[in-house]
Amino acid sequence: MISRALAEEVLTCAMTGGADFVELYGEITRNNSVQMVDGKIDRVSDNLISGVGIRAFLDTKTVFASTSDTSRDGLIKCARAVAAAMGEMRTVEHIRLTERMFPNIHPVKVMTTDVDAKIRADLLRAGCFAAKEYDPAISQVNGTLLGVDHTIWVANTEGLYTSDRHVRTRMAIASVASAAGVNQSGFNGPGAGMGLEFFDTVDPAAIGREASRCAMVNLKADYCPAGTMTVAIENGFGGVIFHEACGHSLEATSVSIGASQMAGKLGQQIANPKVTAIDDGTIAGAWGSVNIDDEGTPTQRNVLIENGILKNYMIDRLGSRRMGMPMTGNARRQSYTFEATSRMTNTFIANGPDKNEDIIASMENGLYCRKMGGGSVNPLTGAFNFSVAEGYIVRNGKICEPVRGASLVGTGSEILQNIDMVGQNLERAQGMCGSASGSVPTDVGQPLIRVSSITVGGR
Amino acid sequence: MLFEEMKQALVAAAKKAGLEQYEIYYQNSESVSADTLKDEINAFASSVSGGICFRCIVNGKMGYASGELMTAEAMEDMVQRAVSNAQVIDSDDEAFIFAGSPSYATLEAKEVKLSDATVIRDNALRLQKDMYATDSRVGDGTQSSALSIVKEIHLYNSNGLELSNRVGMSGAYTEAVLRDGEEAQQSFEFAEGEDYEKLAGLPAKAVNAALDKMGAGLVDSGKYDVLFDGEEFRNFLSVFSDAFSAKNAQLGLSLLAGKEGEQIAAPCVNVIDDPMREDAPIKATFDGEGVATARKAVIENGVLKTLLYDLTTAKKAGVESTGNGQKGSYASPVSIAPYNFGLQAGEYTQEELFQKVGNGIYINECKGFHAGADAVTGDFSIESAGFVIRDGKKAEPIKSFTVAGNFFELLKEIDSLGNEVRWGIPMSFTVYGAPDVLVRNMSIAGK
Repeated sequence: MISRALAEEVLTCAMTGGADFVELYGEITRNNSVQMVDGKIDRVSDNLISGVGIRAFLDTKTVFASTSDTSRDGLIKCARAVAAAMGEMRTVEHIRLTERMFPNIHPVKVMTTDVDAKIRADLLRAGCFAAKEYDPAISQVNGTLLGVDHTIWVANTEGLYTSDRHVRTRMAIASVASAAGVNQSGFNGPGAGMGLEFFDTVDPAAIGREASRCAMVNLKADYCPAGTMTVAIENGFGGVIFHEACGHSLEATSVSIGASQMAGKLGQQIANPKVTAIDDGTIAGAWGSVNIDDEGTPTQRNVLIENGILKNYMIDRLGSRRMGMPMTGNARRQSYTFEATSRMTNTFIANGPDKNEDIIASMENGLYCRKMGGGSVNPLTGAFNFSVAEGYIVRNGKICEPVRGASLVGTGSEILQNIDMVGQNLERAQGMCGSASGSVPTDVGQPLIRVSSITVGGR
Repeated sequence: MLFEEMKQALVAAAKKAGLEQYEIYYQNSESVSADTLKDEINAFASSVSGGICFRCIVNGKMGYASGELMTAEAMEDMVQRAVSNAQVIDSDDEAFIFAGSPSYATLEAKEVKLSDATVIRDNALRLQKDMYATDSRVGDGTQSSALSIVKEIHLYNSNGLELSNRVGMSGAYTEAVLRDGEEAQQSFEFAEGEDYEKLAGLPAKAVNAALDKMGAGLVDSGKYDVLFDGEEFRNFLSVFSDAFSAKNAQLGLSLLAGKEGEQIAAPCVNVIDDPMREDAPIKATFDGEGVATARKAVIENGVLKTLLYDLTTAKKAGVESTGNGQKGSYASPVSIAPYNFGLQAGEYTQEELFQKVGNGIYINECKGFHAGADAVTGDFSIESAGFVIRDGKKAEPIKSFTVAGNFFELLKEIDSLGNEVRWGIPMSFTVYGAPDVLVRNMSIAGK
């Protein structure tokens, strides 16, 4: 897309405004999805995104411009806009770039976006039909099979010229169960940083059945009672609790400007000693993995919290300049129209010392959250909320009847101290995380955990 | 111009492919923004992005393809992709390329242009200075931003329909961060406008809102009469507007299906969707299928008058499209969405509403609607913050509680409405507005 010579010319031009660093990011992304509703393939979306973003730094001031015009003229125009916004024109030396290749630790066998839509449609049918056939009370099923083929180019005035290809595949199915004018829903959406071979590892029909199972549980459930209680949160998407309650507050985006409850707390005990939390962008074929981040820094395994002690933040280039700390391979952006900033990759709580059965047995009265929905957080105050997609009352150490419509609210610093039991069945699950630099794929994860006390919203 | 060139390339490619029914939708956006940190501009950004969507009917099925690469070869490839994508569709829904509405509204003849970069920078800087000047507790993390956006849309189809629209908006937002001892609080405010006079109220509003939250305590779980601020209640309309989509109704994903003509809300409830609302910064004269937009009462005196329709769902229901078949971006498939979707004002001032509550809760902050509310079931359980109402007056602040219920039940339980509608930030062509809303006996989960 962008030759090395053209990248050199563009970077040199963008430097003429007096910046001390300029970065060029280009992308070509094929987004391809098949959607099924009511037993029929309803829509096929097929979009080709192409554009560049140029960002200049002068200390911690930035100027950014982006364009979908990827012709030479378009790029030069964009570079001139950056230079003009940065400051007075001056002459600069020609930038020289050296191509650098990073190892591909996420090899893909079958590019989902290249496969005939009919084959993708058949896979989706298998998932949706299995969901519909799960129970006669399943009234509607909605499914999507998404394939993304995302190639990026990164060049900067430190001489870097490189590219990477991120491939993702995901099937998401939502089931609705109905009885007597009441609707209840269930969702399941596994994905991976893989091609179509993802479906060698997971059966589409099983994806659909799981969504319907959840909807049926909720259909038979009563409203969750409200109040403060002990809560056990199951593995997989339960990890959204850490993502919201703590992960966002560890991103340089908020830490570096002092807008995070976690700013200035490195080395301090911020969580129960049973809690170790990790952000790892290097897990082979994982949904949130990439070889290099969107600033060209290789991803790494970052231990964020070790035995309750805050060890590190997630840091992009601007955050690194502001904080005087090294970059961690966490710079991410949805597309060329966004400026990269620090974001999570695959973030999870590691296995702990407690046996899972002991966790449930320890609860006299409480709530067992088998599946979590999404949530959100205010990084400044740490106030968070998330919804419980499948929950059960726990009585005398036994999981009892299902309850619906619950949510958990609290603050990050509180819940981190209140995670007083950590089990041993770590599993990750997939989500899309929305923040300043757009929507990016992230994994959340944890083993079964117990929170000694948290506010449960219900009625 | 670029669109004309690409249009001709697409028309030629469509002809070569033997297509008779097709549509070309082009959207180009330009934006400029400036952000501040401490007392200076720390980030300045500008962007130009445009894309084309080509869709065509092949054997009665609609195929889509879209992209941003503006070359003749890319256009030819796009037509091929759309044709091949159409062959996978097995939906029985009838597909349409629209012939055109009898007439279209015209926008006032005012030139829509991007704000000058200097104006944007100055607005952001002035807001930031005013924020710090408002209170000594304003500190790190406080940010002010100003922005301007212009969007141009062209629609052309094989029936010869040719429409275009150019809209734009300028505005600013402020995020005040205040610290008092160990406690930090923040508040986010937005206002539309290019002249500083229109934005000048933001700093005081943001700072005072953050200050009001200082020292917030917890509230006991229980049933309370709740006054929702209009700025929060409009978020309920946003989440649950999906239930007003005829597509969701026809798929059994809306509890409003089959309820047209029935009482679904308290008699004081009136909801109007008005694409040409007078004060709206962004107005739409036609939708994503080329249908003329129109003002309509969605709920009148508590009775559901109509759902929102596009061409396909209208045909299925035997009614006319309401012109709500929107495209969020050039690449989005047509999807039903409202324009200026507003719960209409009632008769009471906020003070009068506090008095009507007597003892209860005033909610002016709600979080996490995407997770805590389900448009299919109507259930919600939302993280909230606000104030205790005691003896008819706003008292101490409270935080970290949830308000839970079911939206469709809540509509019937609305007791009274405030006399001023507060509109939100437009996303694409959609914006929600609501007055203060008093609902009795809501479930609150706190300590």
